[in-house]
Amino acid sequence: MSAFKNKSRRQFLIETAGSAATLGMVSAFGGISSAQAASFPDHNMDVVVGTRAGGGADRALRAVSSVWKDYLNTNFEPAYFPGASGRVAYEVYMGKRDPDCYNLLFGNMGPELLNWVVKKPTFNLDDFMYFGRVDTDPCCVFVKADSKYRTIDDLVAEGKKRKLNVGTSRMAHPASVGILAVGEKTGAQFNLIPLSGGKNTVAGAVTGEMDFSVLTSGSVIAAGEAVRTLLVFNDENVMAAKLNNAPTMNDHFGTDIPPLLSARAFGIHVAAVNKYPDRFALLQETFKKSVQDPAFAPAFKKAKGTPEYINYGGIEECRKYAEEITELGARFKSMLSGKA
Amino acid sequence: MEIDLLFFINLFLDTLSYWWVIVPSIFLGLIVGAIPGFSAANTIIILLPFTLIMEVEVGLIFMIALYSSSRMGAGIPAILVNIPGTAGAAATPLDGYPMTKSGRGQQALAISFVSSTLGGLLTTVLAIAAMPILAKVGFYMHSVEMVVVMLFGISLIASIAAKDTLKGLIAGFFGLMIGSIGADHVYATPRGTFGFLEFYDGVPLIPALVGLFAVSEALLVIEGESVLVKKKQIEEDHSSWNETIIGMKIAFKHWWHITWNSLIGLVVGVIPGAGASIASFVAYQQSRTYSKTPELYGTGHPPGLIAPESANNGVTSGTLIPLLVLGIPGGATAAIMMVVLQYQGVNTGPRLFLDNPTLGYGVFMAMFVTYLFMLLTIMPLSRYMSRVTLISTVYMSPLIISFTLIGSYVPRTYMFDMYLAFAFGIIGYIARKTGYHVAAILIGVILGPLLEQYMLRALKMSDGDVMVLFRSDLANVLWIVLVVTLSFPYIMKKFRSRKDTPPDKPEGQENVFAKD
Repeated sequence: MSAFKNKSRRQFLIETAGSAATLGMVSAFGGISSAQAASFPDHNMDVVVGTRAGGGADRALRAVSSVWKDYLNTNFEPAYFPGASGRVAYEVYMGKRDPDCYNLLFGNMGPELLNWVVKKPTFNLDDFMYFGRVDTDPCCVFVKADSKYRTIDDLVAEGKKRKLNVGTSRMAHPASVGILAVGEKTGAQFNLIPLSGGKNTVAGAVTGEMDFSVLTSGSVIAAGEAVRTLLVFNDENVMAAKLNNAPTMNDHFGTDIPPLLSARAFGIHVAAVNKYPDRFALLQETFKKSVQDPAFAPAFKKAKGTPEYINYGGIEECRKYAEEITELGARFKSMLSGKA
Repeated sequence: MEIDLLFFINLFLDTLSYWWVIVPSIFLGLIVGAIPGFSAANTIIILLPFTLIMEVEVGLIFMIALYSSSRMGAGIPAILVNIPGTAGAAATPLDGYPMTKSGRGQQALAISFVSSTLGGLLTTVLAIAAMPILAKVGFYMHSVEMVVVMLFGISLIASIAAKDTLKGLIAGFFGLMIGSIGADHVYATPRGTFGFLEFYDGVPLIPALVGLFAVSEALLVIEGESVLVKKKQIEEDHSSWNETIIGMKIAFKHWWHITWNSLIGLVVGVIPGAGASIASFVAYQQSRTYSKTPELYGTGHPPGLIAPESANNGVTSGTLIPLLVLGIPGGATAAIMMVVLQYQGVNTGPRLFLDNPTLGYGVFMAMFVTYLFMLLTIMPLSRYMSRVTLISTVYMSPLIISFTLIGSYVPRTYMFDMYLAFAFGIIGYIARKTGYHVAAILIGVILGPLLEQYMLRALKMSDGDVMVLFRSDLANVLWIVLVVTLSFPYIMKKFRSRKDTPPDKPEGQENVFAKD
C-alpha cells in the first residue's frame, strides 16, 4: 500500500496545499464568506456509497447528512455500489464521477484500504483521499455467551493445542488482521473463515460452527446477550460496560499495534481538492461542524450507531489511519490473500 | 405475564384491530413482490423514514404484512407470465406457467394463494409453538450439512435431465459455470469476470432470473398472438368463479403436500443465510421424487406448483425465529426489521420473550392474521388477475421486457444489469428453441454459488480434508436421505414395472426369480 505508506505527512499536505491554504484563510477570517456559500453548493451533493442501502454505512451517512445538509443548505443523494466489498464504488467514483466537490464517496476505511493491500485498484491511489471521518468502531474478539472459553487467554491456550476456526466478516478486514497479530504474538494458531458479512459472523460464533469470531464491536454490542467479548483491538475499551469489560490488545499482550477500527469516512478526488479549494474548504469546515453538532449524536444513535464511537477526523487523522492499517495489512498480506 | 390460551386470544383480537395497517400493506406487498427486482427488503428500506416514526406495533405489523404478502406476490407473475418476482419464486413457473398456458391460470393462482396462505398459517402456528426448538436448528445446520441440503436442490438438474440426459446436463453445467463467476468465497480472487467489476460479487440473480425466464418468454410469445391458443383464450375469457373454486379444492386436497413442503420452508428459513430459493427448489425436488406421477412435473402439474409456493411462505416465519430468539436475522428483510426494532428501543434476543412477550409473540400473530386476511382479500382477485394472459403479445412482450429490464436495474442500480438481463434473455431464447431447459441453467446459477460457498467454508475449516463432509452425524443422516431420495424413483419404477408384469410370462423366467 505504497500510496499511503510512502507518502509523508509533508507530501500529503503539499498535495492538498490549495485546500489547506484556503482553510487557513477561512480560519483567519472566521469562516467561509457568504458569497462562496451561496454559490456552492447550488444543487444536491452526490454520494457514492460502497455498501448496500440500509446497512451500517448507509445509516451513518443518513445520520451525518441529516445535520450536514443544514450547514450546506442542500440535500445529499446517495448511490449504492456494494459490489466486491466496496471496490465497485471506488472504481465508479474515480472513473465515472466528476471531480467537482459535488461528488463524494462514503466508505469504511479499514476494510476498504485492506482491499487495496490485497489487490490494487485500477486508479492511482494518489488521486483519492479521505477528508472526513465520522466514527471509529474498534474490532473485537467474541464468543457465544455460554462458550467454554471465558477469557482471551483460554482461547490462546486452546489455539496452541489446535488450530482454531475464527469467523470473520471477510479476509481483508481489520478484525482479521487483529487476530493474526494475536497469533503472531502468542504462537496460537488461528484459521480465518470468511463468513460474508457481520450478520453471518455473529451467527458463526453463536451457533458454534466457529470456535469464535472477530468483528467490529458495534455489531457485537447489537448482538446483545447472545455473545461475550474477550478482547478489544483499541487503546481503550470505550464501551467496556457493553463489551464485558474485555481487555485491550496492547494492554493484555504488551503489543504495540495501532487501533484496528472500522472508520467510516468521506473521501474525495484529489483533483477536486486542487481545482476547487474554496469548495473543499467549505466541505471540511461544515463537515467538522456537523459531526460536532449536538444534534448529530442523537441522530447517529437513532441510526443504530454507537454515539460513543463518534470520532471526528480530518485529513491528517484519516491519512494517519490509512498509513497504519495499510502497513499492518501489508505485514499479513500473504495470510489475507491465501498466499502464505 | 402468563403465556396461556387467553394471552394468545387477546393477542389475536388485538392484532385484528390493526386491519387498517394490514390490508393496505398486503396490497403494497403484492405489488412490490410481483415486480422483479423489488422486494420487501428494499421497500422497507425506501419507507424506512415512515416506519421509524410509526408506533412500534404499527411499524412491525406493517413490515410483517408487507413481507408475507410480497412472498405471495412474487408468485403471481411467475404463474401468469413466467416472470418470477424474486429468486424465491424461481421454482414456481416450472408448473405454474404451463398451467396458465393451458388455460388454467385462474386455477393456478387459486392453488398458489391457498398453498401460500395455508403454508404461512401452518408454519406461523408451528413457529409460535416450537420456537425454542426451531431456534436450535441453526446450531446444528452448519456448512457441511448445508452442502448436502444444496445437493438436494441441485439434484433437480438430474431430474430435468432425465427426459433428455445430454441436454439437461449441459444446461445444468452451463448454469453452474455461470454461477462460479465472481470473486471466490474465501480470498475474494476474481474468476471469470471478463474484466467486469460488476461481476465481482457473482452473476446478479434478478437479471439472470428475469432474463432466462421472462425476456426469453417475451421473445417467444411475440411469435404468437397470445400466451394462450385461440381455444384457451375463449375459455379464459368465459371463465367463472368455478375455476377459482376448483383451484382451491385442488389445493385443499393436497393439504398434506402443503404441510410437508411448508415445513421444509420453515426449517430452511431458520438456518441463517439460507433462504426461499433454496427452500423452493428443495421442496420441488422432494415433491417430484416422492410423487406417483413424476413425469407430469413440468407440464402444469398442481403439486409442482404447491410445493414451491408453500415452501417459500414457510421460509417467511422461519427467518424471523433466529432474529427474535437469538438476535440474529435470518435474512435481509429480517435484518432491516432488526434495525427498526432497535431504533424503537426493542432489543431482540432471548430476553425479548421475557421482557416483552406481547411484542415477541405479536410478530408471529401479525403474520398469522396477515395470512388470514390474504386468503380473504386476494383470492377473489384470481379471476381478474388471470385475464392478463388475454392481452395481445403485441403489447404484452414489450411490457414484459420493459418491466423486467427496470426490475433488473433496481437492486443494484447498474445499467450493466439491464444489459445482462437482455443477454440472459437471448441465452434463454436460444435454449428454449433448441430444447435446453432454462430451469436447469437457473438452478445452477442460483444454487451453484451457495453450494460452492458452503463447500469451500467446510474445506477451509478442515484444512482441505474432504472427509469433513462425513464427520457430522447429522450430515451423514442427510447423505443417507439424499441417496434414498435420488434412488427412490428408480426403485419405485422397478417395483411398478414388476407389479405391472403380465401374469402370463413364460414360466421359466418366474422360476428363476423364485429360486433366487
